[in-house]
Amino acid sequence: MEKIMPNSWRSQSKPHLFCPGCGHGITLKQLGFAIDELKIQDKTTFGIDIGCSLLAWNFFDIDTIQTHHGRTTPVMVGYKTLKPKRVAIAYMGDGGGYAIGLQSVLHAAFRNNPVTVVLVNNGNYAMTGGQMAPTTRPGEIAATCPEGKPEEYGAGFKGPELIRNIANDKAFITRVSVSKPLVLKNALKKALENQIKNNSFSFVEVLSICPTNWKMNAKQCFSRLSEMEDYYPLGEILVQKEKKNVE
Amino acid sequence: MLSNTKKISLTLTGEGGQGIQTIAKILINAAVDAGFEVAYMPVFGVEQRGTPSVAHITISDKPLRYPKFDIADYVVILQSRAVTAAEKYVSPNTKVIFDSSTVSVSDLPKTSVHIMGLPATKIAYEQFNPRSFNIIVLGALTKLLDIPEKNIWQMVLKVLGKKFKTKEIEKANNDALLYGRDVVFETKDFTKAIFKAKHKAVIFKGHNKHGELLPGRCKGCGICIAKCPVGALSFSSDLGVYATPIPQVDLERCIACGNCRNYCPDSSISIEKDS
Repeated sequence: MEKIMPNSWRSQSKPHLFCPGCGHGITLKQLGFAIDELKIQDKTTFGIDIGCSLLAWNFFDIDTIQTHHGRTTPVMVGYKTLKPKRVAIAYMGDGGGYAIGLQSVLHAAFRNNPVTVVLVNNGNYAMTGGQMAPTTRPGEIAATCPEGKPEEYGAGFKGPELIRNIANDKAFITRVSVSKPLVLKNALKKALENQIKNNSFSFVEVLSICPTNWKMNAKQCFSRLSEMEDYYPLGEILVQKEKKNVE
Repeated sequence: MLSNTKKISLTLTGEGGQGIQTIAKILINAAVDAGFEVAYMPVFGVEQRGTPSVAHITISDKPLRYPKFDIADYVVILQSRAVTAAEKYVSPNTKVIFDSSTVSVSDLPKTSVHIMGLPATKIAYEQFNPRSFNIIVLGALTKLLDIPEKNIWQMVLKVLGKKFKTKEIEKANNDALLYGRDVVFETKDFTKAIFKAKHKAVIFKGHNKHGELLPGRCKGCGICIAKCPVGALSFSSDLGVYATPIPQVDLERCIACGNCRNYCPDSSISIEKDS
């Protein structure tokens, strides 16, 4: 019989602390299955950020580091530098990766540090009550923009498209969605393998749902997620080959 | 009881999302309107749902110099996972009020002697909307503390007024408040904690398929139901860990595609074909 729960999950801490229907649960479940399939549970270290992602502090039965806000990537880079045989995963939300911690992610990609960054994007700052974030799409409703995000606040932030301009050729950059869990699992698996085999940077952006702050039920959440998928195209984002400005 | 005692300390405990801080806000504002001095300290974690949420309230007829207290006169426990948060404030003299339809008597703090049951979840499910649960508790509490009904209802309208979009919702909440004020607390025969999640797994078997569902983990988000391609899943009358309905499976229609297993954020459901 197929396992109902990944082996790498810590069963004592379940039910976990995320809200009902949270996309973090789906992402961490597929991450757990990916870790199980690669058999790297005993040599993985999991770094978590501030924001909703910190609720995963006792989620896995693997070593976990709680870092400062936005500083998950540099902490995991430092860890990986000292312990090159371990597998380092930096797990964060869109606030930690694209707002306060953008420079850390960019420089890790620029230096081609061998860490796997998993960024869960739900289009708002969910832990503090669903305020507008850089990833909120124009016209999308959030707590601080009840009539839709105004145009002067800019478009939705496309992180992978930005990172591909400076990343190394070996880097693996992709965008997946919780509406396709098996694709999500394979992307996470590929990102981890890229770290282990190629010793390179890998970046996975996961489009996610937030039923609590969107104030929607499951069906409405997934239809809003499909609108989000239209704005943020899914799939692997190839690294820009010509890098005149960088080299 | 406010009329004959000078100072009352009250600790409200429950789970994030149950409305603990909302009823605390209504209660203290109504007490201020009635001419009392009030100190209110909300305590809750960073999570939006599912962890203890505590409100410490002191009501007095003289100005309060110090807002904290070691032992509460009244402790209200609305969820069994919040018992640990309340334990510290219970002494043998404390009156413990608990939701007898979700918290079983054996879960209560060991030091509690005066226990009073209020099956608020059961009343809310059977007679009102499940969401009017906290209004029933508010009604029962304000009756106990002798705060006039008029003050309370004005405060409910002030705090929650925007959420009452139609007159019907407003009337249902008024009914729930009045019902809560008339509730007689159980002191001997307590309602069984029927709304507590079962720990045992629900096993599905038949039509060449088998599977399991863990109500102790299911939070009732409904993703499995929304993502089932043949509509074999629907909500049942049993309840999960957040007192929300858990799904049931029509095994005849189920094609064992594994969608529910892949999507479930809490890893609580799995159905597959017999090998």
